[in-house]
Amino acid sequence: MKGKLFLLLGVTFLVSGARLYAHHSFAATYHEDQTTKIEGTIVQFQFRNPHSFVQVDAADAKGVMQRWGVEWGGAGQLGGQNINRYTLKAGDKVIITGNPGRNPDEHRIRMTGLKRPSDGLSWGTKPGETFD
Amino acid sequence: MFRIRRTAIIAPLFLLVVMCAGRPAFAQMDFSGEWQPIFYEDQPERVAGPEIGDYTGIPINDAARMRGDTWKASVQTLPEWQCRPHSADYIWRGPSQLRISKEINPVTRQISAFHLEWLRSVDTPVWLDGRPHPPEYAEHTWGGFATGKWEGQTLTVTVTHLKEGYLRRNGLPRSDKATVVEHWTRHGNYLTVAVVMNDPVYLAEPFVRTTDYRLALNGLVAPYPCSVVEEETREKGEVPSWIPGKNPDLHEYADKHKIPFEATRGGPQTMYPEYISKMKTK
Repeated sequence: MKGKLFLLLGVTFLVSGARLYAHHSFAATYHEDQTTKIEGTIVQFQFRNPHSFVQVDAADAKGVMQRWGVEWGGAGQLGGQNINRYTLKAGDKVIITGNPGRNPDEHRIRMTGLKRPSDGLSWGTKPGETFD
Repeated sequence: MFRIRRTAIIAPLFLLVVMCAGRPAFAQMDFSGEWQPIFYEDQPERVAGPEIGDYTGIPINDAARMRGDTWKASVQTLPEWQCRPHSADYIWRGPSQLRISKEINPVTRQISAFHLEWLRSVDTPVWLDGRPHPPEYAEHTWGGFATGKWEGQTLTVTVTHLKEGYLRRNGLPRSDKATVVEHWTRHGNYLTVAVVMNDPVYLAEPFVRTTDYRLALNGLVAPYPCSVVEEETREKGEVPSWIPGKNPDLHEYADKHKIPFEATRGGPQTMYPEYISKMKTK
């Protein structure tokens, strides 16, 4: 039964065509040609449209603790990648890689990779684990 | 003799009635259905998003250029921006499927309106029943007020009463005084929409764009719930923007693509083929 449900969800996702969720311009918001990495603690996971956000407390390059706004895929798109609103929770220790925001003071990152060492959860390494 | 003359009159009349009954009373193209956008070379701009400072191909004036130069992308993390739908004029360029449904007048059986809906838009009716546009002071909305009239098989739509929107998602604005004329043409399974934008505030001349869609029988416009959250922490009352002349990213587009900075600044003076020869002399 569960298998049929997943099959149905998968087919629904496929037949819906290229479900694209672009809202703002990534090129205008992030340095897409650069990569940065933070290691910190999740404060809040906002699983929603148009894009999800992960608020993370982590040190910047100078070692000063900052609150980072990490942008992730929309709920619909991540839902097709086995991510749901319960995947991350406050207090989780994570390592996040991504494109840095154009304005360093805003401490924004567009996520391209996620790791949670406590249980080995990862995102961004398998084909299709991207968002737009 | 009398019988022959009567038959000669009635037969053609009967034939005429039969012919008329087999045709629509008024030529109307059916645009209803699910449509998939076709991006072609516009994919980088329409999906991932335009680059900062790329004003090429748009007949903007100085006021629009100033708005673009002082725009900071993080303004879209403000609560009032997060769930904002694309306006009726821009959404044709959006990345999602389009659903066009038709509203039928039950008495005349003619199409009285088309309703348009994309993933990230509001229901946008296009009225075909001859109703007038409201006065200028009436409410302005994301969908605007749209009426259509048939010009042969092409539907020409006029949109007014739009809230302020954008010409390109890198800060180039479109004012709430703009009027939009759209020409919808269907060629079998393809839909081409030519959008002519007239904006007395931010355009030096009309801005014309065409966009194509392909009929998609398996198309789906999914639900799109959106909630406002704190996307970014900032000082209370701060509105992200650049002081004029202080935007550090404006030259990036010109440098990356190796074109003169002046050519990236948009406006009629740089968007026609004649500019290429002028550019070479510089």
